[in-house]
Amino acid sequence: MGDEFESDTVVASGNQDELIMQQQRQIEREISESTALVGDLEPIASLNNEYSNDVVYLEKIKDLASKYKYMRRTRPDGNCFFRAFTYAKLERLLDNKIDFANFYKIVEGSKHALVELGFPQFTVEDFYDTFIDVLKRLGDIKTATDAKKELHTLFNEQGYSDYMVVYLRLLTSGQLQRDQDFYSCFIEGERTVADFCHQEVEPMYKESDHIHIMAACAAMNTGVRVVYMDRGTSKINIEHDLPEGTQPSVHLLYRPGHYDILYL
Amino acid sequence: MSAQTQYNLKSPGVKRLMREACELAEPTDEYFATPLEDNLFEWHFTVRGPPNTEFEDGLYHGRILLPSQYPMQPPNIILLTPNGRFETNKKICLSISGHHPESWQPSWSIRTALLALIAFMPTSAAGTIGSLDYTKEERQVLAKKSKNWECNICGKILNKLSNNSAIKTLTKEESSLLSQIALKTEDETNTSENNDNELRHRTVNSVENRIDTEFVVFSEVQSQKDKLWSLVVWLLVFTITLLIIRRFFFV
Repeated sequence: MGDEFESDTVVASGNQDELIMQQQRQIEREISESTALVGDLEPIASLNNEYSNDVVYLEKIKDLASKYKYMRRTRPDGNCFFRAFTYAKLERLLDNKIDFANFYKIVEGSKHALVELGFPQFTVEDFYDTFIDVLKRLGDIKTATDAKKELHTLFNEQGYSDYMVVYLRLLTSGQLQRDQDFYSCFIEGERTVADFCHQEVEPMYKESDHIHIMAACAAMNTGVRVVYMDRGTSKINIEHDLPEGTQPSVHLLYRPGHYDILYL
Repeated sequence: MSAQTQYNLKSPGVKRLMREACELAEPTDEYFATPLEDNLFEWHFTVRGPPNTEFEDGLYHGRILLPSQYPMQPPNIILLTPNGRFETNKKICLSISGHHPESWQPSWSIRTALLALIAFMPTSAAGTIGSLDYTKEERQVLAKKSKNWECNICGKILNKLSNNSAIKTLTKEESSLLSQIALKTEDETNTSENNDNELRHRTVNSVENRIDTEFVVFSEVQSQKDKLWSLVVWLLVFTITLLIIRRFFFV
């Protein structure tokens, strides 16, 4: 009878998993219907609607509005940091042809570096080709305004947008593994840096932490300022520059669990 | 592939599948997979049972269903040939073992999935849904029979793989990768609300029927075992009740 009992629980837990997955898919569907992958520019004050009864947040939105003019929302699908970061970085680069060309060179050399680290060549090439293809398309457009429009269109096409995210995830993973002596101090538990990358960096929809941001910045040779907005008691939002002391070229707004893009 | 025009060739996912189709176009000694003529999102594959196991000499055929979001989401593998390790006609999901079941990586591919499938055939079924715990002998019988198995789309599977056994060694990255991957099976009926896959549904009823008849023989063996077990269980229950009743009378 022991056997019968066991098989019953297995079936039951299978159904449970299935229910959870179903619910998760439902939530994902609702999110994707209501939020664009990368939204349009909005004034900072648009945040007020979300917190109309929340004194702490309203105070912080005021503080935010004194420093930033606009924000751009991204879809909260676990890829928000990578999507926001890549979008904001490229958007910024489109204003300066020289910076853009330098960045292009960094990306060109990155595929070989990833393959050398042991990433599967066949698939890395697939993601790299799309990434470079997008850069080429943007670089070929004459005016920055038109190029930014194209950037916005491409980042709202699921196929391209996700491919950009995957490649940045791979670059971040590569950076972590290349510098693993340094990053291993930031990983909790018994996991190796490689394990961490396989479980938390390379899979899609996995949320990003401090360590992801540090490695992504290093890989893209860029600095980012993250403005933290939460229920903490101070009236001012805490700002963090990564890596410390650099002039940030990308500004992101962090609210627990989610990143959006900020504009000065 | 005459039906190429029906897909958005600009979509990175479609490009990726075409690339994979090219990469896998030549049959190897261990595996072969190719998209259906009229559907890039459904593939059929054949794998050879791993040597030095009860699956040795077996040839196993199945379907690969690709979600519209591939490679962001994992392929679904369905075995069609009775094998004694995985139930036929049920989805087997690729995942990272235990703790992180949803962690498919976009940098894996159909090839990775097939290598993982081969690597996982000899592992213990351990009671996971859709796994079968047949005895070694039963599996060997199935392995022998599998050579005569026919797919109603691909025909005889005996000659699908190359016989050139120049052993292709796995790259370091591939073997470390395979050590992370685990297989779990998922009840297909439960996931049928996953519309993405339903789009690409194809009638395989005739195949299924044939498998069913082939399966009867083996399920008979199974059901006899089951009967024996329930007999033992009932006997135990009976003796325990008798003992309890006896106790009452002695008090």
